[in-house]
Amino acid sequence: MARLPFSNDIRTLRFLAGEMTQAELGERVGVTRQTIAAIEQGKYSPSLEVAFRIARTFGKPLEQVFGWDEESG
Amino acid sequence: MSFREKIHWVTLVTMIAAFGWYFLAYPWGIAASPAGLWASAGMLLPVTVAIIIAMTIASAWMAIRTPAEADLKEDERDRSIHYRGTHYAYYPLVVGVWVSIFALFWNAGPAVQLNLLLATVVLAELTRIGVQLYLYRRGWHG
Repeated sequence: MARLPFSNDIRTLRFLAGEMTQAELGERVGVTRQTIAAIEQGKYSPSLEVAFRIARTFGKPLEQVFGWDEESG
Repeated sequence: MSFREKIHWVTLVTMIAAFGWYFLAYPWGIAASPAGLWASAGMLLPVTVAIIIAMTIASAWMAIRTPAEADLKEDERDRSIHYRGTHYAYYPLVVGVWVSIFALFWNAGPAVQLNLLLATVVLAELTRIGVQLYLYRRGWHG
């Protein structure tokens, strides 16, 4: 499977946000728990809207949640 | 496993069982005669009813067990997976239609043509569901 050219810190941010579960984050963002899991594992590239919603949930700018991977990009 | 993925598994198993029975039990010896059409009609009725009943019971049972998941709307990943599945299902559909067109010129009987079209639809559906399940298991295409 082709690796996505960016990584994310969602798992860490969830932990820092009081160990928020994937289901809770999914509910806030408007996607399923499985979609959050797929994004975290780098298996699914979210739309810009969902990416912004995730960042806003944690109160962070987009680039602090998602980072471009120079090696694979 | 998400609610939608479970529904896809139920659909896959139900379709394989129902249409597997249909194509194995069909009296191919009379397919060229007018009676072949009525045999199809007579067999498609229980197949359709069985699929509807199985899907209704399975969906209701899973919705009762996990009501929160059943209420969830389809999200963007679900939609992407569905579009990709439908895209791949198009290929067997096109091949099946062309085979059916050639069958017309070979004077295939109406029952043979009907079964060819039916097989085309079943194959396309199995492809669609199979691809969607594969993508659900894999996470997504990347």
